[in-house]
Amino acid sequence: MSSENKTPLLSVRNLVVEFSTRYGPVRAVDDISFDVYPNETVGIVGESGCGKTVTGLTLLQLIPMPPGRIVQGSINFDGRDLTKLSEKEMQEMRGSDISMIFQEPMTALNPVFSVGNQMIDVLRRHKNLTRRQARELAINMLDTVGIPAPRKRIDEYPHQMSGGMRQRVMIAMALSCGPKLLIADEPTTALDVTTQAQVMEQIVKLQDEFHMSMILVTHDLGVVAESCDRAIVMYCGNIIETAAIDDLFHKPQHPYTRGLLDSIPRIREERITELPIIRGMVPDLLHLPDGCRFADRCPRATDECRQDKPVVNIDPVTGNGVACYHPMG
Amino acid sequence: MEVLQYAIRKLLGGIPLVLGVTFISFLLMVYFGPDKTYELLGKNPTQEQIDEIRHELGYDKPFMVRYGEYLKQMATLDFGASDSTGEPVSKVLARTVPISLALITPGFILGNVLGILLALIAAYHRSGPIDKYIMGFSVVGMSISFLIVVIAFQIIFSSSYGLNAFPVRGWNVHSFSDYLRYITVPTLATIFVALGYNTRFYRAVLVEEMTRDHVRTAKAFGTRPGKLLYKNILKNSMIPIITRIMFSIPLVVVSGSLIIESYFGIPGIGKVTYDAITTGDQPILKAVVGLTAVLFVITLLITDILYRVVDPRVSLK
Amino acid sequence: MSSVAPEPVVDETVVDDGSAHRESIWAKTVYKLRRDRLGMVGLSVVLLYFIVAIGVWLGIWATEWGDVEGPKWAPMSAEYWFGTNIIGQDVFARAIYSTKTAFEVGLVVAVLSTIIGALLGALAGFFSGTWIDEIILWLKGVLDSIPFYLFVAAVAFALSGNPYAMHIAMVSTFWTTTGRLVRGEVIKLKNFEFVEAARAIGVPQVVIIFRHILPNTFHILLVQATIVFVAAIKSEVILSFLGLGVQDGVSWGLMIAESTQEVLAGFFNNFVWASVFLFGLVMAFNMFSDALQDALDPRKVASE
Repeated sequence: MSSENKTPLLSVRNLVVEFSTRYGPVRAVDDISFDVYPNETVGIVGESGCGKTVTGLTLLQLIPMPPGRIVQGSINFDGRDLTKLSEKEMQEMRGSDISMIFQEPMTALNPVFSVGNQMIDVLRRHKNLTRRQARELAINMLDTVGIPAPRKRIDEYPHQMSGGMRQRVMIAMALSCGPKLLIADEPTTALDVTTQAQVMEQIVKLQDEFHMSMILVTHDLGVVAESCDRAIVMYCGNIIETAAIDDLFHKPQHPYTRGLLDSIPRIREERITELPIIRGMVPDLLHLPDGCRFADRCPRATDECRQDKPVVNIDPVTGNGVACYHPMG
Repeated sequence: MEVLQYAIRKLLGGIPLVLGVTFISFLLMVYFGPDKTYELLGKNPTQEQIDEIRHELGYDKPFMVRYGEYLKQMATLDFGASDSTGEPVSKVLARTVPISLALITPGFILGNVLGILLALIAAYHRSGPIDKYIMGFSVVGMSISFLIVVIAFQIIFSSSYGLNAFPVRGWNVHSFSDYLRYITVPTLATIFVALGYNTRFYRAVLVEEMTRDHVRTAKAFGTRPGKLLYKNILKNSMIPIITRIMFSIPLVVVSGSLIIESYFGIPGIGKVTYDAITTGDQPILKAVVGLTAVLFVITLLITDILYRVVDPRVSLK
Repeated sequence: MSSVAPEPVVDETVVDDGSAHRESIWAKTVYKLRRDRLGMVGLSVVLLYFIVAIGVWLGIWATEWGDVEGPKWAPMSAEYWFGTNIIGQDVFARAIYSTKTAFEVGLVVAVLSTIIGALLGALAGFFSGTWIDEIILWLKGVLDSIPFYLFVAAVAFALSGNPYAMHIAMVSTFWTTTGRLVRGEVIKLKNFEFVEAARAIGVPQVVIIFRHILPNTFHILLVQATIVFVAAIKSEVILSFLGLGVQDGVSWGLMIAESTQEVLAGFFNNFVWASVFLFGLVMAFNMFSDALQDALDPRKVASE
């Protein structure tokens, strides 16, 4: 959709993130590269533990260091390499140029301050505003994200709100300083189904209104299909496929992507037959195979797959790519 | 109104606790406590004299009657006069409690405030060298007996082997500068020991709070580390901090002052109570134990109201 | 899912019965303990003290702790390593002998208050919300509200000179924290499947508590026992100073109490050596206790 914009807003290259555990170092993110263009929404998809959340947190350098550490790679955002910024410069960046919203609206807001107090803090942190101006702006933002009676609700505490309302507050806070990039980490997972749809719809609408790019970290392919322009599929810390959303859903190249898509239940005219499943278990990050990390579970795997790890080759025309010797075609 | 209703409910709810404390204390300190009969009699008393004294002291009445009388005294706050000196108990308390408070309060406040400060510094530099030094100091503080600290500080500050700058013992206070001179060494010792435990406890509380999701959120919005610590983390940690401070108040007033007062020969409530136990001065004991129990119940109440102040999720229902 | 550091999926056994859970906890604990250098130093020092105590108990050394043999307040010398006290007793022998006293006090109080805390805590937790729980909580509240040193003094006088008055008083107040922690853990445990399963197939309640629930609180008991041990030998010092401590024999507390009469006259041997011995043991125990807590539960740093 927007890949005709030449310069990416965010460009991650060869990023490696390692955590030291008492069993040895674990590479949660292993040599990943991807771009996000202005106004684009990119989904990062995968099972839990695949490295997608760590990727999101690493962009803002929010992983705890130690035990975490960026081993190598660069994160170019708007002309600056975030890995080279000082902690102070990074703080300026957080919440103003890049915002993040989290999965747990219950605990992600501070329970002992009113939502207004927390929003005003963010606004005054990044903008030169008086308390009164910040408050007016916060009320405006709450209105924008669809919170009824914002003038009253701004003084409420998080525990007085429903999960959906709290997540809207998070969104209002995240957008209040006009970020260029929003990282949404499973923004709707903790909500009930009807609220999920409303909140997601709101996010997509606001993303358009605010002309920002978004990275949507999720395990929910349905959400990706509805809201993303492009998706990145991660498995065991690697990117195994990246493609425009239509291509990914209609012509998945990697057997793993195919497996993920097949395991979504669909309502067809005939009875739902048994869902296909991906055989086997995700290998643990301490004992990864030399070759393709999916090889042991892959119906198409050959000796080649087990010996050498395939890398993603991006097609310069479509921007799609897959790390597989035997793509589905 | 809500608070008042809550207060009344809470105070009534404290009655079983007061009954329990007074009952056990009465049993131990009064019923099984020292018998003063022979102390008050001359040599070779007659049976009549013995009976008379026992009657006067109330020893001849059945246990429950005596306990009942105690409860009545509690209700009317009239504990009579000290067995040993004949001075009214209320006067003894009025004389000694202010001394104990004056002695204990500075060390208590400084011990907690400095403890929280050190804990904040340690938590801010978590896992770094500064944290390790502070926590190392804290474990050392925890491992030294209070008595050792008191003696060592006395040698250092008050003896001819050290600075020789403060009075060795006693309480001869007529002016504010006297007051400072007499409390300096006990206060320093109190702070030293309190810091060990307090710093460690408060750091644990703060570090626990630092791992919460809302702290990560605040970080993700660019909050500066200093502000994160004193606004987001400190306020969220107030419940365990308040609990610790409030609950130590009743114990510090009596137990904490006891050691210092005995060692430095200061006539406060701790010393008077301890003497009352050893001599069997029942009116004093009854008053101190009963009032401490009531103080506990009031502390519980104030603590709950403070919870409400620092945490909007707490309701006084 | 949202946790930042990925816990490696190594051998997280599903908690379907208590024993698997326990095994994995202990295997990890031992592994982590052995890598904790300060903790191992602490443990070694504690063991060294323990050997000294056993030697005293067997009558191998420090047998002359009570003999009045030297001159009054002799300085440190080859004969009297730590000098002598006011009546000419050997301070070195007395400091060594006191190691046994410390372990006696510490072990008796730690073991008994842990047992009582475990039993009452388990009862209260298992029957939480019933009158049994109410009574135990009330008792705990009452004991926590009586100022400790007054309580000990009262027990000491009520038992008129019983040498174990101090132990009894400590045990009756020190069990409460253990009890509270065990109660909380039991309330958590009793809703686990393995307990519900045991109940469903008609296992008697007593058996459930002792066979299935209490063993799963053992990590709490172990840590609490080390904390109580330290608290007991520290309290002994204060109580000895107040004249309520060890009644026969000698202890570091008694030596320090004795020294309060000497230090201002410039005789420091009792004070210094008893303090050094006491500090060494308490510090080592604290270091070990910390390591144990870290190994058992890295998130819980210290609570009272």
